[in-house]
Amino acid sequence: MRKHVKLVLTGAIVLGLAFTIVSCRKISPNKFSSEFLYREGNPLVGFRILLNVGSVNDPAGKEGLCTLALSILANGGSQSLTFKEIQKKFYPMATSVGLSVEKEMSVFTGTVHVDNLEKYYAIFKDMLLAPGFREDDFKRIKTNQLNFLEKTLVSNMDEQFGKEILNLLMYEGHPYGHHEAGTLETLKALTVDDVKAFYTEHFIQGNITIGVIGGYPWDFPSRIIKDFSALSEGHTPQLSLPEQRMPEGLEIVIADKGTPATAMSMGFPVSISKADDDYFALWIAVSHFGEHRQSLSLLFQKIREERGQNYGDYAYADHFIQGRRKFPAQNYCRQQQYFSIWIRPLANSNRHFALRQALLELKKLVEEGIPEERFEITRTYLLNYTRLYAQTLSEILGWKMDSRYYGHKDFLAEFQKRLPQIMHDDVNRAIKKYLNFENLYIALITQDAESFKDALVNNTPSPITYANPKMPEEILEEDKIYQVFPLDVKPENVRVVQAISFFQKEGVPKK
Amino acid sequence: MKRFISTFLSLILLFCLTPLLQSSDIFPYDYKVEVLENGLKIVSIPLDNPHIISHYVIVRSGSRNEIEPGKSGFAHFFEHMMFKGTKDMPREVYDDFLTELGAGTNGYTTDDYTCYFVVLAGRENLEKVIKAEADRFINLYYDEEMLKTEAPVIEGEYYASVSNPGRRLFEVLRDTAFMKHSYKHTTLGYLQDILDMPNQFEYSQLFKKRFYAPDNTILLVAGDFDHDQLMEYVKKYYSGWEKSNYTLVTPEEPPQTKAKRAHYEWPSKTLPRLVIGFHGPAFSDEKIDKAALDLLAETSFSRSSALYQKLVIEEQKCLSLYASFADRRDPYLLTFNAVVKDEKDLPYVEQEIIKELERLKKEPVSEEFLADIKSNMKYSFASALGTTDGIASSLAHYINLTADPGTVNKLFDFFDKVSPADIQKMCQKYFVKTNSTVVTLSGGKTK
Repeated sequence: MRKHVKLVLTGAIVLGLAFTIVSCRKISPNKFSSEFLYREGNPLVGFRILLNVGSVNDPAGKEGLCTLALSILANGGSQSLTFKEIQKKFYPMATSVGLSVEKEMSVFTGTVHVDNLEKYYAIFKDMLLAPGFREDDFKRIKTNQLNFLEKTLVSNMDEQFGKEILNLLMYEGHPYGHHEAGTLETLKALTVDDVKAFYTEHFIQGNITIGVIGGYPWDFPSRIIKDFSALSEGHTPQLSLPEQRMPEGLEIVIADKGTPATAMSMGFPVSISKADDDYFALWIAVSHFGEHRQSLSLLFQKIREERGQNYGDYAYADHFIQGRRKFPAQNYCRQQQYFSIWIRPLANSNRHFALRQALLELKKLVEEGIPEERFEITRTYLLNYTRLYAQTLSEILGWKMDSRYYGHKDFLAEFQKRLPQIMHDDVNRAIKKYLNFENLYIALITQDAESFKDALVNNTPSPITYANPKMPEEILEEDKIYQVFPLDVKPENVRVVQAISFFQKEGVPKK
Repeated sequence: MKRFISTFLSLILLFCLTPLLQSSDIFPYDYKVEVLENGLKIVSIPLDNPHIISHYVIVRSGSRNEIEPGKSGFAHFFEHMMFKGTKDMPREVYDDFLTELGAGTNGYTTDDYTCYFVVLAGRENLEKVIKAEADRFINLYYDEEMLKTEAPVIEGEYYASVSNPGRRLFEVLRDTAFMKHSYKHTTLGYLQDILDMPNQFEYSQLFKKRFYAPDNTILLVAGDFDHDQLMEYVKKYYSGWEKSNYTLVTPEEPPQTKAKRAHYEWPSKTLPRLVIGFHGPAFSDEKIDKAALDLLAETSFSRSSALYQKLVIEEQKCLSLYASFADRRDPYLLTFNAVVKDEKDLPYVEQEIIKELERLKKEPVSEEFLADIKSNMKYSFASALGTTDGIASSLAHYINLTADPGTVNKLFDFFDKVSPADIQKMCQKYFVKTNSTVVTLSGGKTK
């Protein structure tokens, strides 16, 4: 990975150059950095206050603390205003403070009309710099976090649940290996004092990048800089992560749950990220194989378009959090990445067939590469499609900040520059180098999990039936291959776990 | 208030370089409306935002149009079939065309309309998109086998949402509250109808003939293009599309005469949910009822309202609480929704919502709070106009309702005129017990 370029902006520089400065180099790891993107005439102002801290910074035994601590900033009162008063003041401005917490990064977001910028910023600033840490806010937010883990995630959103199981499985014993919301056991034990201690330790200058975009007044950057300078200097050293563990064969967890549809997520760690030269070639390959929510995706064509089995089937070259939304989100950067496949829920009767399909297509991709004509069309597609990635102010700012993380001046511009130079062979080389079809973590949510385990272990043929009695001959011929495609599933590599057991404690439950 | 409007508009007008400078309209962009001889309406919004063009085809047919028994979910299913291509441009060719273009494209179906959008970069690509889109709307081709293959995708889409209790609650509410109108079912449709979709080839042809016609469709284009050039392309490619002349008559919903109640037992652990629905008016930019009710929803159930603060923030009985008075072409439901933390609090939360509605019948809301609400609605709308696609998608919703892009300005004019007394009157008119449907959902059994 390229060295992470760190930037800083001093108050003195800003005062003189507020309208021209985009960002400045960081002179000390203990000072904050900033990204000010002025957009003349734009009536909106967007904020992204990025913190280089995430769930990996949860102390052992206090998993979920980062999320809880930052949630109290975003959804609780400041020292001067209760949360009720904040909501009342935000309401006429039609604004709020958003938060996302990831493994190594968290971000507070907000967008406001310039009419209301001063009023909004005064409140926003106090929420972050002078939080109230009130007991009633703590209780409310902690209860919500517990309910999310115990009831919502496990019972109400199987697609996301599948992705979280994959994460637990892929990162057992690794700092990434717990959900950002923690576990029921650790979360229940957290106190207001834990939250305050986390804030004091991590909400410090060197961990923060201030991002602002829009038609703000000329002196606004200098005021923000001055306000955030009140924070303690210092930084949390970036965690030195252990090597990611590659699966040995097919390592499977099946969450048993009464459901008519099976959710599937699978993948493996990769030693590549947006910082690497090879990423651009790999991106073309994975886009061809499974572009998110686009008919370009080979998996989408094979599973949905040709056979009508489910709503969509996608693959990702790195961590991707969007579900129904089309474009990638920003500020979810990680040191270590993984390749994944997401098969959206399909009838339980087709689960074995679809799993075979996904793995056989992956095998063909790895062994045969991407066909020349698909390479050309995918490259052209990406050159055009990525021009739509940054449309809103918040997206423009987010991409700019992520570019920094991965050592690019402007990742999307770099992409436009690099892509035309990438050749078919580059893509196939990247596939061979980074992808494989034999060693995967596989997370499944289904009913009668034991019988599915038996079918997997025994390689039981899994023919598919169609509503259409006149399916094209070539599809039926291909089905004959899919339905008996052998998967090397060892019984000791399949764990069947009751769905309700997840998130009680760290890692994959024993049963 | 007047000063606010003036400041607000002066700033929002900066957003575009072709503002309606002399106007106080909430939608600040110049637009042109033209109608072809075959009835196709074109709404054109040229913008100075570089590169991006949003191309929306709005077919004014949604699940509202599914008036025959056994056909629920068909508008949404037909949306899927619209991606099957034509004889000149089969699906694979159409897919490759959009792929090479790198366009953001998809469709969505609502109760009242189905929308097909292509968001593309580069005005040099506009003609190609119009040509391809016109081709599939005029010459869509699929056979029975293709339909049978696509139908199970809807089943898959149903399964993708099957673990969402909020969706189930909503299905039960509509099914319970409506007796005759096609709003009785959701856009996705009943599962038994979804399972029968493979057998509906003939009906699909009828559905296309009735609704996929220029006199039921609006083309909305926003972004970096020249209007005259756009019209040249539209006339060239869309003029051959034949009118339908079909008139949809949706079943009239009889007045509800007694309170209804239903409960759904969720098969696993979940936070309990409650929804209280009242039959309300259709969207209108001519009567004040709907505008007043929209403001009422915010008055008592927005995050800054007293009831929200009490139930969500102070007593912490609810995870969320909100009111939803969706805009629909026919009379629809006004709903009050709560996700409750403990099942034993469901009756209490229900009682508190009803108590608040009773209070609103007797006490007018304060002028100050009403001003805050109006401010919120305007800034919310302005924020949605931050991108070319935001402008197109925001306007698509309103165009669907009345076929007139001016309706959004009329609606916001109404918002300005609504008084506390208007809101009180609407409460008294609509929130009566015999007009209510309460649905609860809770789950305990786990597996």
